Amino acid sequence: MAHLTRRSMLRGSLALAAAKTVGGPYVARAAATTAAVWFAQGFVQDEDVALRKAVADYEKQSGNKIELSIIPFAPERQKIISALTSGVVPDLVDSNPAEILQLYGWQDRWVDVSDVVESQKGQFSETALVAAQAYNNVTKKRATYGVPLRAAVVPCHIWKSLVEKAGMKIEDLPKTWDAYFDFFKKVQDNLRKQGERKVYGLGFQVTANGVDPYNLFMAFLVAYGGQDIVTRDGKLHLDDPKVKQAAIKAAAYLGGAYRDGYVPPSAINWNDADDNNAFHAKLMVMDVDGTLSTEVAIKEKHPEWYYNEIVTHGAPGYPNDNAGKPVPSIVGYTNGLIPKGAKNVTVAKEFLKYFIQPKVIGEFVELGLGRWLPVMPSLAKSPFWQNPKDPHLKGYVQQGLLGPTRPDYYVFNLAMAEVRTQHVWSMAMIDVAKEGVKPEAAIDKAFKRIGEIFAKYPMA
Amino acid sequence: MDTASVVEIGRPSVRRDSIWRSLRGPLKGSEYTWALAFVVPYIAVFVTFVAYPVVYGLWMGSEPRLYPELFSDPIYQKTVVNTALYLALGVNVKLFLALLLSGFFMRPGWWMKVLLMIFVLPWAVPQITTFISIHWMLNGEWGFLNNMLYTLFHVEGPHWLNDRWTALGAVIVSHIWKWTPFWTLILLAGRMAIPLEIRDTARVDGATGVRGFVHITFPLLANLYLICTLLSTIFLLGDFNAVYFVSGGGPANSTQVLATLGIRNAFEIAQPRLGVAAVMSALPMVIPLVIVLMRKLRTAQVQL
Repeated sequence: MAHLTRRSMLRGSLALAAAKTVGGPYVARAAATTAAVWFAQGFVQDEDVALRKAVADYEKQSGNKIELSIIPFAPERQKIISALTSGVVPDLVDSNPAEILQLYGWQDRWVDVSDVVESQKGQFSETALVAAQAYNNVTKKRATYGVPLRAAVVPCHIWKSLVEKAGMKIEDLPKTWDAYFDFFKKVQDNLRKQGERKVYGLGFQVTANGVDPYNLFMAFLVAYGGQDIVTRDGKLHLDDPKVKQAAIKAAAYLGGAYRDGYVPPSAINWNDADDNNAFHAKLMVMDVDGTLSTEVAIKEKHPEWYYNEIVTHGAPGYPNDNAGKPVPSIVGYTNGLIPKGAKNVTVAKEFLKYFIQPKVIGEFVELGLGRWLPVMPSLAKSPFWQNPKDPHLKGYVQQGLLGPTRPDYYVFNLAMAEVRTQHVWSMAMIDVAKEGVKPEAAIDKAFKRIGEIFAKYPMA
Repeated sequence: MDTASVVEIGRPSVRRDSIWRSLRGPLKGSEYTWALAFVVPYIAVFVTFVAYPVVYGLWMGSEPRLYPELFSDPIYQKTVVNTALYLALGVNVKLFLALLLSGFFMRPGWWMKVLLMIFVLPWAVPQITTFISIHWMLNGEWGFLNNMLYTLFHVEGPHWLNDRWTALGAVIVSHIWKWTPFWTLILLAGRMAIPLEIRDTARVDGATGVRGFVHITFPLLANLYLICTLLSTIFLLGDFNAVYFVSGGGPANSTQVLATLGIRNAFEIAQPRLGVAAVMSALPMVIPLVIVLMRKLRTAQVQL
């Protein structure tokens, strides 16, 4: 038996070091085929299963490895921001929150992915292509930094059973904006006459938490004709009388509905999940809330609710404006983003190219129960989305993909993202709803704050 | 040979020797190596987990442009007022209750031990689930509290979380409920450390009940009570959970405190430096507190 001496230890160590040097390229090669991917956890488990399947299929076909981290929504957002702040970044992230694309695009922190998008350019909707871009304040140019993966709009979720309980019919829903929402006030009045103490007509998120209140206000702003608040060149148009009138009307309707008792009082302090919970508890007849999460969350446990008791939009579909013209829906996108400093940009791009093939990305959204919309109009024609037995999917895809759509305003000017996160519209709604402020005064205050925020983001 | 040059050449080596000797201290031979081996891991951990984060935080919040932006935020002033109220009421009410309760739990009897065990439960259960439960309990429409009020008295309770003052009150009460048991235990330990002889002598001299508390117990506990107050103030200043999970900072951002504002700025508005600036704006209060605390800890060595 050999004795362990200092000399033999040295020899052994040298041999190990030499072996590592020879073996080095193998490890390096292995690292080059691995990409770290972060993605937000789904609202229902099926979404995560769908993502894992897409990743597994890619790994099988390519031989590359994807280190997938599925992280709950809020912690993932914090993790992404922390990673970008520290500079230690993964290879691919989803845009969580959506405006992170524009926010860090402004700072020149994303890899240009126009070559990836180009591989399926003809398939994407025009709105998706525009929303994948951001203004870069370093190069002073717009560029494509996002790869559209899925989309969402803000549909109307309605308890058909409560409408019928009130002695009314869902088929009688008016087609124009104000009349459509006024219908639910009548439903509430009728239910109260029947002794229903705590059912409210409208689930408006008149709150300063989360993303829902901004989406709600913007839907009303556009419906009332204020769609030019920010134009494609990134310019703000608060001096446009049409924009101001639309904002005043939106604050008046949304705040007024709360003040008049048609919105659950707790709505003033709801977070993004509270309206879903309140809707499921039948606290209100209808809710205006992004994605189909409200419906898919109960599909497995309460199929009778999904198929018989809840409808999306109701008979007329997404309501027209008060003049009878279709209202464009603002679409929010989840984009794939590659941070600058990522170690394996090549694999990340390859994976994205694989992922956005119509068959793959179509299957991804369908396996996720249709909570999210596809980003390619051709996919909307699939039997899944056009299923006549499903009371939700057809109306949802019509609203968010086949009907008139537009990207969110922070795509044109990043300042609008801060308007959203600082809850400027929320404060206007709450001023009207709770503080008794006149809508005109509430909007004057909001416009002043919006002007201050836009001044921080000068665009060339 | 030039004498002057020899002197000059010799000087640095003499200086190096004396520095080296002062570094080594009384340690000889391998003792110094061993000492280094024990100290280096501690220094590495300290630098990595204490010094680096603090310096990084200071660096992140060091840009002067952050502060005008922070102060121009419409909710900042309200947040400072909320933080002051949260600290003043949260710390003082909690510690005063803890002081009284620690006296109550000094009573003899097995049932007192059982009661103490039940009493510490709020502190023992996980705080996030507790605060979420309180949030739901206070919901105006379907919360437990208002439903109970309606069922028992046919009274429609207020919407506790819809008003700034009731929501902030709910946060403060939740904090007091959660942390009073902990500080009660600390003060109970302090009371138990008072030698029996002192209490017995005082009793013989007629200092019983309130007089005993005022003249004997409280003076002996005063230093501990002050340290608890300072520590609790520092803990509370960084407390995020009670506000975030009970009131959510709402309604309309009216119950934010500096800790939650920092998180909001860092991750919701996605401006981490502005988030750090919000927390840093509390430094003028934290630093004097830490200095006083350190001084008190030093004097505490010769007191109870």
